Amino acid sequence: MSRPGKKSRRQPQQRAPQPEPQVVPAEVQPAWGDVPEPVLVLHQDVNQLHGHEVDERQLQLLVKDWRRGRATRNIWQALGDAYVALFSFAVIAAMLISSIARAQALAAECSTEGCTTARGLLPWAMLAGVLGLTLAAARVFGPVLASAAEGFWLMDAPLQRSKMLARRLWAIIVAALVIGALVGALTAALTGGSLMAVGAWALGTGLAAAGITAFAAAEQGAERIWLVRILQAVISLVGLVVLLAVVATASGWISLTVTDALAVELGFAVAGVGLLLCIGAGLIARARLSQIRRARLQSGGSLVAGMQGAMFAMDFGLMRDILVEREAVARGHVRPTRGRSTGLASLIWRDVQRLFRYPRPLVLYFASMVVPYAVQALGLGRLTVPISALVLMAALVPFFTTLRVLSRTRGLARTFPFSTSQLRTAASAVPAILAGIWGVAVTAAFVGVGGSSMLGNSPAQAAMWALITAFAGFLAGIRWVSAKSANYNTPMVATSMGAMPPGLMFNLIRGFDMVALMSLPAIVGWSPWISVVLGVIIFSFLRMGGIDQEELKAMQEENKRQAAEARASIRGEAPAKSTEKIKVTRTKREGTRR
Amino acid sequence: MASRDTVLKVTNLSKSYGPTTIVDNFNLEVREGEAVALTGRNGAGKSTVLRCLVGADRPTEGSVEVLGVKMSETNPEIRRNVATVIDDLDFFPDLSVVEHLDLLARAHGLDEADQLVDEVLEEVQLVPQSGQLPGTLSSGQRRRLALATAFVRPRRLLVLDEPEQRLDVEGVKWLGARLRAEKEKGLAIVMASHEPALVEALGCRIVELGGPRG
Repeated sequence: MSRPGKKSRRQPQQRAPQPEPQVVPAEVQPAWGDVPEPVLVLHQDVNQLHGHEVDERQLQLLVKDWRRGRATRNIWQALGDAYVALFSFAVIAAMLISSIARAQALAAECSTEGCTTARGLLPWAMLAGVLGLTLAAARVFGPVLASAAEGFWLMDAPLQRSKMLARRLWAIIVAALVIGALVGALTAALTGGSLMAVGAWALGTGLAAAGITAFAAAEQGAERIWLVRILQAVISLVGLVVLLAVVATASGWISLTVTDALAVELGFAVAGVGLLLCIGAGLIARARLSQIRRARLQSGGSLVAGMQGAMFAMDFGLMRDILVEREAVARGHVRPTRGRSTGLASLIWRDVQRLFRYPRPLVLYFASMVVPYAVQALGLGRLTVPISALVLMAALVPFFTTLRVLSRTRGLARTFPFSTSQLRTAASAVPAILAGIWGVAVTAAFVGVGGSSMLGNSPAQAAMWALITAFAGFLAGIRWVSAKSANYNTPMVATSMGAMPPGLMFNLIRGFDMVALMSLPAIVGWSPWISVVLGVIIFSFLRMGGIDQEELKAMQEENKRQAAEARASIRGEAPAKSTEKIKVTRTKREGTRR
Repeated sequence: MASRDTVLKVTNLSKSYGPTTIVDNFNLEVREGEAVALTGRNGAGKSTVLRCLVGADRPTEGSVEVLGVKMSETNPEIRRNVATVIDDLDFFPDLSVVEHLDLLARAHGLDEADQLVDEVLEEVQLVPQSGQLPGTLSSGQRRRLALATAFVRPRRLLVLDEPEQRLDVEGVKWLGARLRAEKEKGLAIVMASHEPALVEALGCRIVELGGPRG
């Protein structure tokens, strides 16, 4: 198959002369009364037609040409339309760089051997984190995938699937390389590493991520998942051990020496191993591409499609819902357990039972307790509050299942005989207890075990900051799971990127806004009581489900109507309707017929 | 009939979306042990009326009262007395069929939830699926689970939007028998339906919306 040029694509192609269709009456007599006799015009036997061998590469190029041919604007026009987004991106990037510089400066203030070693260990923890997340993403999406359309139209054709998918495999590996390298470089820069160390860790993390992606792809071809799961567990465990080592070293409990030169050597060593894995596993994955089932390829593709939909609405909660739903479908069945107690307590008990049925999120929850100690060990001072609260938020989100489902689904909430605030309070009880335990467990970090108190206050005040951090993480979790999605039914805001619902941009910062508010007093050195008061106010709002704009609007209209009626009665007129409606004409309108 | 309490009272209900009026000046009163079927062609406003009745939508004008209390979707008193099966019901992705029913019965304060749940499960023919998560149920089974949620809790008013949807013939027959039994026990029922057999089985008072069929 040859690739058609632009001209040939746009001009009608000459067809080979076709024989005149012959009308052949069907032999089967219809048995459906007045249904006309069918006329069969297809007389060619497809099996007898001469078929050419399919060139997969040409087929892909053809698809690419079609897509390009249907594009309504080029990349520069699209970028021109999105200049506001690009400008925002530039501002956020500048803020990020500024934060990195500030964190570096803060980290550099702590120049003890413990601090230096702890900083040297942090890229290892980040490496483990990146590899763990890469494996998780690879397992969920494929990593090799195909869209539903590709699965239906192409995968069924007599072509070599491996040739169709090869470029996709390499693209995924390269993407893992680039993203891993960026994260590695960022971590090394944040911990005050030299330029050489930054380069070494960028290369190391990038190649390791690429290697692990290739490994997951090779396992996908072999229809295996257990090896990937084991590797993921081992990597997560290594990450936790490294994080504990960061704390222990900085506190002087153990002695390790990680100099900048050693960090560079280790970074290159990781890069070497990653490269070998990348090449070896990549070649195996390439060889096994044809063995991947179409259903497996399409399931990843449909997941990406769902994620894209949620991404357009910037609804990360919805993205998580899709993943949770998919996991539930994959699990399919559970051993049912009867509930306990009655009333609101039954909801709380069900959340407790969930902890035993789905204990995996507890691993992240317990691991998050190390974070304040590690942040303190790195000498990041007042940033401990927001950083730890954000990590706690992420760790608590899986425990908010009841709240998430009840805030998303009004129909389900309506079946329970409780007010919104009662439901929300009950659905937040278990996460609140977990946050409380977390606050107590990390108090030692805030008091300054193994070093000075990071907030420079009395132990009592430091302990209070620990609890405030837990409170901030808890509130951020509630906000993240229960914030309303952007409402496309409301009047849109005109932007250069087109019409947008007003709440769309706020979706990005949900949860983060609560952490920022609660951490502000810690960062600027105000009394912790300000955070406590802020937290109580925020909680009372979140408990009510925020301000119901529709309810406010209805109340406003009701007040207007009453005022109009009152004015009319003073003037001695009959009350008039406040608004005139345009009615739909129907054949015969009757309100109620009995 | 006159001695029976009024459960639902709808007065001059109108609902508009922008300039389009879907329901205009609709009135309805339903007493205990009475079943009302809203009928009419697609787009006549049946679902809109039902959504207003349960508080899922706010009427543009008019009022809805349940047992003398002004309708508010979030009022616990109303939630305690009104069971609904309309299209906005979803499920917890991680709880099995039986756990949904058990949780709902307990939330409504029923101490003897186990036996009730077992009976309802058997009646909606979901015993084999009791341990299944909702994501793996067929559309018909999901419908049965939705209906089961209405029967596993106390109720004085039942609001159903095309409950026969996605049910097989046997299922529709069961639903007719179940609703008739509920009606005889004094439950007030309001439903929208396109199934004449179900409406007839229930002995409903018929309210046709949007004028008679052409």
